[in-house]
Amino acid sequence: VNADLKALYTKIVKAHNDAPHHFEKRDDSRYHIKAYNPICGDRFELYLNHNSQRIDQAHFYGFGCAISKASTSVLTKSIEGKTIEDAITICNNFLQFINQEPVDRLTLTDEFRAFAGVHDFPERYDCATLSWVELKMYLERHTTQTERP
Amino acid sequence: MALSIDSIKSHFPIFIHRPELVYLDNAATSQKPRSVIQTITDFYEKENANVHRGLYELSASATQRYEGVRRKVSELIGAAAPQSITFTKGATESINIIARSFLKKKLKKGDNVVISAMEHHANLIPWQQVCSQCDAELRVIPVNRDGDLSLGQADLLLDKDTKLLAVTHISNVLGTINPIEEIISLAHKKKNIPVLIDGAQSVGHIPMNVKETDLDFLVFSAHKMFGPLGTGVLYCKEEFTLQIDPYSFGGGSIKNVDLEHTEFLDYPHHLEAGTPNIPGVIGLGAAIDFVNGLDLDETATYTKNLSIYFKEGLRSLGNIKVTGNPMNFNGIVSFEVENIHPHDVAGFLANENIAVRAGHHCAQPLLESMGIPATVRVSFSIYNTKDDVDKAIAALTGLKRFWS
Repeated sequence: VNADLKALYTKIVKAHNDAPHHFEKRDDSRYHIKAYNPICGDRFELYLNHNSQRIDQAHFYGFGCAISKASTSVLTKSIEGKTIEDAITICNNFLQFINQEPVDRLTLTDEFRAFAGVHDFPERYDCATLSWVELKMYLERHTTQTERP
Repeated sequence: MALSIDSIKSHFPIFIHRPELVYLDNAATSQKPRSVIQTITDFYEKENANVHRGLYELSASATQRYEGVRRKVSELIGAAAPQSITFTKGATESINIIARSFLKKKLKKGDNVVISAMEHHANLIPWQQVCSQCDAELRVIPVNRDGDLSLGQADLLLDKDTKLLAVTHISNVLGTINPIEEIISLAHKKKNIPVLIDGAQSVGHIPMNVKETDLDFLVFSAHKMFGPLGTGVLYCKEEFTLQIDPYSFGGGSIKNVDLEHTEFLDYPHHLEAGTPNIPGVIGLGAAIDFVNGLDLDETATYTKNLSIYFKEGLRSLGNIKVTGNPMNFNGIVSFEVENIHPHDVAGFLANENIAVRAGHHCAQPLLESMGIPATVRVSFSIYNTKDDVDKAIAALTGLKRFWS
């Protein structure tokens, strides 16, 4: 990872860790999704308000390292106002990017690219992807459930 | 003659290949001295053969060396006979053997097993599982805020239905050195309850004598005491050896086999089915030779002093909370940095070539009981120096600046 990306990583991870997007407990939210990594003890809860089409609001709260916290913060920010289908695509883009698989460059915001830093630290992959993996599973389950007659 | 601490680092080739490495994760695994690595290489290059099988010279000599390590282990821990020593994969397997091949058949509804709240998962899960399978109760001696066991509570928990007490000698998270003599005598006086001591962090680091402490079972791993990975030890007091059943079945553990029956060898050989880890055991022998060249009282004081020096440095930083404050401790220190997650601390230190551990250290219940999700752990060994401590403190100062 080059110096620019390293700087971006430091800047964005730090900014999101210091002031995460919608970082608060929202017991009134309709859907709660748990993201837990038993290896390191990182534990977040995502709070979503969505209908069958759109995600209106996304909050999160919990305990985790700067990378997992910042990546979850970027997640909530990225999926708010998106359709369920778009949110799944965003999750796929982010996870493919972290896994160094080919991704449409246009979909890569600076906030996504910042996490290229973990390519140098494979032991931090799980920190970056924790909430994204859980959200993707949840949304996919949700679509298959609602598609049922 | 004791090896000099000043020159000890030169015995460890990893520091020649990685001169910049500050290795402070010794509670996870220690580095290996040249003599251990060379012994294993020599075995494969010049002496490789299976044990207890061949009539040719190579096999006979492999057998002799393998069995010779039983004597070395028994002398290291002050056991009466080499035949009290079983070779296993590690401390974890040793505990599983006692849980499943000794304790399980004795446990019935209403019985209990007592452990402590500071156990590594390896000295918790095997007991938890057999207790649940047998409808027995798992009782836990609490740990106070300082990180010491509450012996008064231990006394209350042990009763006529207690079938075994299992306690660690040294906490892998807090560095607490438990008063095992006192604990063992408590259990023995009460109802002659057998005691298993987890010596993973202590054997080879502080003096250990199974006869003086009168413990019944001792388990430890070679790799935490300068030996190879994948080899461990189970010591069993003679009076219990006949009560341990075979743990896994196969060749090398039998007297006689026909299609319907098997007559097994006596302890310890009936626990060593299959081709054992011969270079691992011979490597453990070399590690014991290395340890015998140390003055364990001196090295224990040395690593303890490094941890005291480190804690002083931590205090000067101001934003650090050390986990626990045990009465008697070794070279293991856990801590939290205010508002910075342990993984971020460990990641930052890793960038400075400082290897530490972050997380729950396979002791989730302990940290949960102390209300801490995770810590950073630094653990010292004989090749660490004050310079290593200074580098760690300097890096933590940089970390504080970076995140503020």
